[in-house]
Amino acid sequence: MIQPQTHLNVADNSGARKLMCIRILGASNRRYAYIGDIVVAVIKQAVPNTNLERSEVIRAVIVRTCKQLKRSNGIIIQYDDNAAVVIDQEGNPKGTRIFCAIARELRQLNFTKIVSLAPEVL
Amino acid sequence: MNEVNINTATPLLCSFPYLFRKYLFFSRQMLPSSTVLSLAGAGTVVMVAFSGELGNLETKCSSRPRKIFSRSCIKELPLQQHTINGFKSKKRNSVSSFALGKETEDNFFSDVNEDTDDMYDDLINKYGKVVFSRKDKKPASAEIDDDAESLSFAVELATVASEVKAADIKVLFVKPLVYWTRFFIIVTAFSRPQIDAIGSRMRDQAEKKYGKFPTGDTKPNSWTLLDFGDVVVHIFLPPQRAFYNLEEFYGNATPVELPFENQPPFRS
Repeated sequence: MIQPQTHLNVADNSGARKLMCIRILGASNRRYAYIGDIVVAVIKQAVPNTNLERSEVIRAVIVRTCKQLKRSNGIIIQYDDNAAVVIDQEGNPKGTRIFCAIARELRQLNFTKIVSLAPEVL
Repeated sequence: MNEVNINTATPLLCSFPYLFRKYLFFSRQMLPSSTVLSLAGAGTVVMVAFSGELGNLETKCSSRPRKIFSRSCIKELPLQQHTINGFKSKKRNSVSSFALGKETEDNFFSDVNEDTDDMYDDLINKYGKVVFSRKDKKPASAEIDDDAESLSFAVELATVASEVKAADIKVLFVKPLVYWTRFFIIVTAFSRPQIDAIGSRMRDQAEKKYGKFPTGDTKPNSWTLLDFGDVVVHIFLPPQRAFYNLEEFYGNATPVELPFENQPPFRS
């Protein structure tokens, strides 16, 4: 359940470390974002000497949430933190590798690029 | 419950740690109260006996039995393997006292290296039995048929790409690495119109010949991805291809030989 002002970790090697969600895309007045949703975020903390800087506004895809993700077969996936992957306007990831096991729902939501960079798919 | 004489059962002797690990696994999964390990193929029942030293150690450190016990076992293990011929005659503990839980099991054999693991896998294949298998699993022949169909589809798409002068075409068999697809096709195009041409030709061919429709990018993009289910096509511009470096990430995948690679270059 990501809403504006939620702080997010970054699950890729793009150079950002902490994000803050400022808007959820997809519908007007949408309250929460879940895994596979695109949010607009601001970089709160970044690795020095990388392409991304602090206070830059970017788009990101949610890949991990503390809120559990339920599948129709009864499987529940729940992570310990909220994390996102930084993407550009065209949907390409800004980093080259992704560091967590991600849910296969991302593939159905047309984020196969993120899935193909991930080390493991749940 | 007949007891195997460890002196005569030499293959079992060397596989002792692994058997024990498997035993722990089985005991937690299906035989919680039993104290024996049964091997289906051999029909033998092994009762694992430990030396008196270990038993003493366990009783001494009974305030924190798990941790200390597991540590001491790592130390004692090689010694036990050498002197295993003698230990049968020593004092015997109940096996169930060693099944202390997951931590013990994990720490206990953390120093077992890869080679011995292979050997133990062979032994388990020989003597072990399948406890549980999924019912929705396809037979091996159907899997091979599906693989062959996906392979022909992938090679067809790669041929289409080479007709539109895509460079550096690679078809990778990634099924052993990731479960969600079978083949990756990675190609380089040199401009966005060319990416568009390659993408639309591939879509047309897939629709006409195989009746498949891709998901993924519809507009030409610097990394255009077409997802046909079993085959995933990545079309890159040269800088993006170097940046993402997918071939290196999937370096363990087996490359598929393509028919047009061996042909001599066309001369007019």
